[in-house]
Amino acid sequence: MEGTELAGKILSTWLTLVLGLILLPSAFGVSLGISEIYMKILVKTLEWATIRIEKGVPKESVKNSASVGIIQRDESPMEKGLSGLRGRDFELSDVFYFSKKGLEAIVEDEVTQRFSSEELVSWNLLTRTNINFQYISLRLTMVWVLGVIVRYCVLLPLRVTLAFIGISLLVMGTTLVGQLPDSSLKSWLSELVHLTCCRICVRSLSGTIHYHNKQYRPQKGGICVANHTSPIDVFILTTDGCYAMVGQVQGGLMGIIQRAIVKACPHVWFERSEMKDRHLVTKRLKEHIADRKKLPILIFPEGTCINNTSVMMFKKGSFEIGGTIHPVAIKYNPQFGDAFWNSSKYNMVSYLLRVMTSWAIVCDVWYLPPMTREEGEDAAQFANRVKSAIAVQGGLTELPWDGGLKRGKVKDAFREEQQKNYSKMIVGNGSLNSESN
Amino acid sequence: MLISSDQIEQLHRRFKQLSGDQPTIRKENFNNVPDLDLNPIRSKIIRAFFDNRNLRKGPSGVADEINFEDFLTIMSYFRPIDITMDEEQVQLCRKEKLRFLFHMYDSDSDGRITLEEYRNVVEELLSGNPHIEKESARSIADGAMMEAASVCVGQMEPDQVYEGITFDDFLKIWQGIDIETKMHVRFLNVEAMALCH
Repeated sequence: MEGTELAGKILSTWLTLVLGLILLPSAFGVSLGISEIYMKILVKTLEWATIRIEKGVPKESVKNSASVGIIQRDESPMEKGLSGLRGRDFELSDVFYFSKKGLEAIVEDEVTQRFSSEELVSWNLLTRTNINFQYISLRLTMVWVLGVIVRYCVLLPLRVTLAFIGISLLVMGTTLVGQLPDSSLKSWLSELVHLTCCRICVRSLSGTIHYHNKQYRPQKGGICVANHTSPIDVFILTTDGCYAMVGQVQGGLMGIIQRAIVKACPHVWFERSEMKDRHLVTKRLKEHIADRKKLPILIFPEGTCINNTSVMMFKKGSFEIGGTIHPVAIKYNPQFGDAFWNSSKYNMVSYLLRVMTSWAIVCDVWYLPPMTREEGEDAAQFANRVKSAIAVQGGLTELPWDGGLKRGKVKDAFREEQQKNYSKMIVGNGSLNSESN
Repeated sequence: MLISSDQIEQLHRRFKQLSGDQPTIRKENFNNVPDLDLNPIRSKIIRAFFDNRNLRKGPSGVADEINFEDFLTIMSYFRPIDITMDEEQVQLCRKEKLRFLFHMYDSDSDGRITLEEYRNVVEELLSGNPHIEKESARSIADGAMMEAASVCVGQMEPDQVYEGITFDDFLKIWQGIDIETKMHVRFLNVEAMALCH
């Protein structure tokens, strides 16, 4: 049967190529340079596309990056904003200030925009990022069509194959390693399996990662905290070092993976009921880091995926455990592919499909010097300090807001605190006012 | 002239985001803005968007819903003073802004800010702080009204009642004080930026 023979031959050649060119080098952490060439071609193409778009479009319609904002917000603190017009009836002037603030919030609020993908300054030839770009020229459209073909017919099957191989190897490898008795050999093998499979998975996304300051890489017995953009963050960090994950036990494919990898090395998985008990969680994590032989824990204190333009409130629970905190900043380059998982818009499968049909995932990872809680600092202040360090390094804006606002409303306590601040200022002045009357 | 077509487009997108892709916004849609939640006079600000006087639809009353054109009408009260404007236009602009604020105080649309209405605003400003009693809020409002009366009416007879601040009185209070820089929202300049590295 010539048809099936031919299909069989193609499949085996395909698999051999994949094995030889991608899998084996990943196992040894070596790169053949194919992805670098791909990236160079990609960058050149996108530059050309940008220039063509600029030439073709009249000056006024070229857009500014929407994530910077459409209005100039008055960032001065409340005291300064209110002080200008005092002297006369203070409430009238304060009403000015609050009306302006209210309108600014209505036109553009800082929080909601963080839960949708960042808008690009110039189009990167993906339909999904095309908000406003009209037909420019035939050549550009042809390049775009070529891009679609390349991404969907060449890259997507390749990436799916790799991802499949990567996950299967991970599950099988860790199960096998888990059969061995506890020893340094077991740890070494488990690290090898984790690293190899994560590298394969990252290749399956055409990931290009730049690590900075490798000397600050998290050590055993510490806690690694990072800003959270998507589930891919885990793979990105694990490519350069092994971590113990923390999380809830889940069902389905994730559950299978979880159960397998915990056999090889001690990750910390919690049942749903256990997650509610904060003391239990803290206790188990404390026990984990007390054991110097165990891998550093990886925690994402924001608690939810943010769109990588800012860092939101770090939940203080992770900072109450003690130990050394190793902050890590992750910044994705949105030009090549959007890594943000908008869980209200896409489920896991469609998200993975979107990521695998992007050009590439390019990101920078900065390891920051370790930090510990200082005397007289409580967990919340420590969390804020770490958050600032990460935001500064990654070039992200810092927001005091809770990532939980994606799904819930502003906590009353937070709102009351703000209003208390304001009222303190008024009563101070108000009493002076009525005295002079 | 005042805002470019690009900015209108961005505002339109924001409008759609607030309205949930509907053609009109209702009061409930403003509950989704976390930043607004912290504002002590949020209910007055939200009401201002639906106030028929601000929408130029009538002398009183509150609309149920507003469309994008109405949204832009309200936004226009906060446009910055253009340096190319002449003196007359500047005065007009200023008057419009003060009128917007006047409407915020004068909730029953009778053209006067009475003592009750004034107290209401002060109470709202100070709401949320359990330590401030109603008495303090009232005394602040009373003191302010007395000062306003002295500015507007001058010396009053012992049994003369000051009925409330009219719009002209309101203008008188704010004469000579620069409010332009405090009551505008400035759009960022849209410039060409090409980034590909």
